[in-house]
Amino acid sequence: MNIENTKAQMRKGVLEYCILSILKDEDKYASEILNTLKDAKMLVVEGTIYPLLTRLKNTGLLNYRWEESTSGPPRKYYQLTETGKIFLKELTTTWDELKNAVNIVTSQKQEK
Amino acid sequence: MNKTININLAGTFFHIDEDAYLKLQGYLDAIRRSFSDTQGRDEIISDIEARIAELFTEKMENDRQVISTKEVDAVIAVMGQPEDYLVDEEIFDDEPKKRTKSSTASSKKLYRDMDDKYIGGVCSGLGYYLGIDAVWVRLLFILFTIFSGFGLIAYILFWILAPEASTTSQKIAMTGDPVNISNIEKKVKEGFDNVAEKVKDVDYEKIGNNVKSGSKGFFDTLGDIIVFFFKIIAKFIGIILLITGAATLIGLFVGLFTVGIADIIHIPGIDFVDIFNTSGTPIWLASLITFFAVGIPFFFLFYLGLKILVNNLKSIGNIAKFSLLGLWLMSVVGLFIMGVRQASEHAYTGSTVVKEELYLADQDTLHIKMNDSNNYSDHYYRDSRFDIVVDRNDNERIYSEDVIFNIRQSEDSLAYINIRKEADGRNFKSARNRAENIEYNYELKDNTLILDDFLTTPLENKFRDQEIRISIYVPEGTVIVFDDSTYSGIGRSTNYEPNYSRSSIINHKWKMNDDNELHCIDCEDEDDSEEDETNRVLIDEEGIDIKVEDKDGDKLEMKLDENGLKIETT
Repeated sequence: MNIENTKAQMRKGVLEYCILSILKDEDKYASEILNTLKDAKMLVVEGTIYPLLTRLKNTGLLNYRWEESTSGPPRKYYQLTETGKIFLKELTTTWDELKNAVNIVTSQKQEK
Repeated sequence: MNKTININLAGTFFHIDEDAYLKLQGYLDAIRRSFSDTQGRDEIISDIEARIAELFTEKMENDRQVISTKEVDAVIAVMGQPEDYLVDEEIFDDEPKKRTKSSTASSKKLYRDMDDKYIGGVCSGLGYYLGIDAVWVRLLFILFTIFSGFGLIAYILFWILAPEASTTSQKIAMTGDPVNISNIEKKVKEGFDNVAEKVKDVDYEKIGNNVKSGSKGFFDTLGDIIVFFFKIIAKFIGIILLITGAATLIGLFVGLFTVGIADIIHIPGIDFVDIFNTSGTPIWLASLITFFAVGIPFFFLFYLGLKILVNNLKSIGNIAKFSLLGLWLMSVVGLFIMGVRQASEHAYTGSTVVKEELYLADQDTLHIKMNDSNNYSDHYYRDSRFDIVVDRNDNERIYSEDVIFNIRQSEDSLAYINIRKEADGRNFKSARNRAENIEYNYELKDNTLILDDFLTTPLENKFRDQEIRISIYVPEGTVIVFDDSTYSGIGRSTNYEPNYSRSSIINHKWKMNDDNELHCIDCEDEDDSEEDETNRVLIDEEGIDIKVEDKDGDKLEMKLDENGLKIETT
């Protein structure tokens, strides 16, 4: 087993949830999403995000609109759709449960 | 110093130097390949390009600055390797997809190696492609060049057809590693071990997927196996085509080249080709036309085989293809014209007839002999139909043994000999001329007619089915004795009674009857001896048959066959 691979897989597993969370309150464009993720150390390389965004858009969880930028080419601003919001809600519940479960399992191990 | 290129990346203008450009392009291509079967690939790529443009803009201090490999490396470090783009597929895929093969399957391509070359880098590139050391390939080429000259042609062909490996990705494709940006990096950074590990990981995932997805995985594997076998069959066909094409080209080249050259420099003894040649076309032209007419289709066969075997063969181009096609058509038309002219040389048969009286000293018997050609012992070319000989004056002559005679009944009491000389030609006049140029002799000594069993004609007349037909007219009652030497010269229109085979004719004496037939005068009536056989003991596969009669008239007949045993005595 390659430890780097496992780490990356773990991070990438929740990436979808993170992206949807970032877009919960306001619309953002790719670089903003990237910066948030990178600041939180959720992402090592940026490339991962693009197929993910396209995939989310194609499955109808995200939408985007073009907006002129003052410092370069137009930007793609992503926003949650109604389905995306429902999806995010469910994911949040799942994540909370998962977090608890993982906490219980790992802390039990520590006690022993 | 380095050339710079202007690029438009997601609507933004950049100066980028050539190395950096090639690297960036390789990177984008690798990513594109890794998404080969993903929906919305173009959209993803344009998003990535936009982000790269953004990153470049951040790094550029002013508009005039040029992007170098350093900036490209930094961007690649931020964006990640093509594999990093891939893993997400599996999380999102409802059905696990097969990993794109391009990242793992080693797809070797044939390039010319410009780093390790003596002439055009062909041998070195082929060495990589075949997985053997370039030295052996070079040795093979040299051997082929020495022994058949084909090595040179093959080398030039490869030189034209195989592209040179100029970029890094081409060089890697040449040596056989998978071409993507990560490999270029890995080659430098991580060494071989990591690559091997990567390949192993992928295999485990693949097997895992196959187990998970049950039948689909099974059929995928089956499909892979079938495709694999088809590929093997295709390669096999390719090899056969290659060998067929190459062998024919070598054969044609050696054969016709020799003939053509021999004609140009006139090697003595090979002039015989000219004897057949009728149309007046120079031999070198004829052999060149033949070479093109037969060789071009085989060249295409060879090319097709090569194309099946080698993936990235350069096309020879439409201009080359069409000019070869044109050349081929012209050659075929040329051959056709030559053929027609050749045939027309035999269109007419001309003949001259000489009729002379034979003064027989004794009217009763005529001995016929045929004379061998003692003067022409020096045959230096032999064909099934003619030889080339040298006569006493050192002139070359065509020599043929197409001489046949027949015996016929003379209408009066005199004997005649009728010699007809025949030859073919384009028209009557040339045919007759040719016939007149045939030299043929006979001799009458006492009562022995000595016929030459050969004819000759000067070399410049060429071989055109020259022949001699002799009719010997003898009066009724003349006895003919054939010498052993006449065996092959007796024609079929001589009539005999009894109708023996020709080998039997020469053993007997014959007499000309008034019905234009030769009758045997010393043949035994062999047919009579069969029937009146009184005493016999026969034992064969049918059984035993014994019949004995002694002088006193006592008879014993015994028969043992499938009907049983039967014995009769009187």
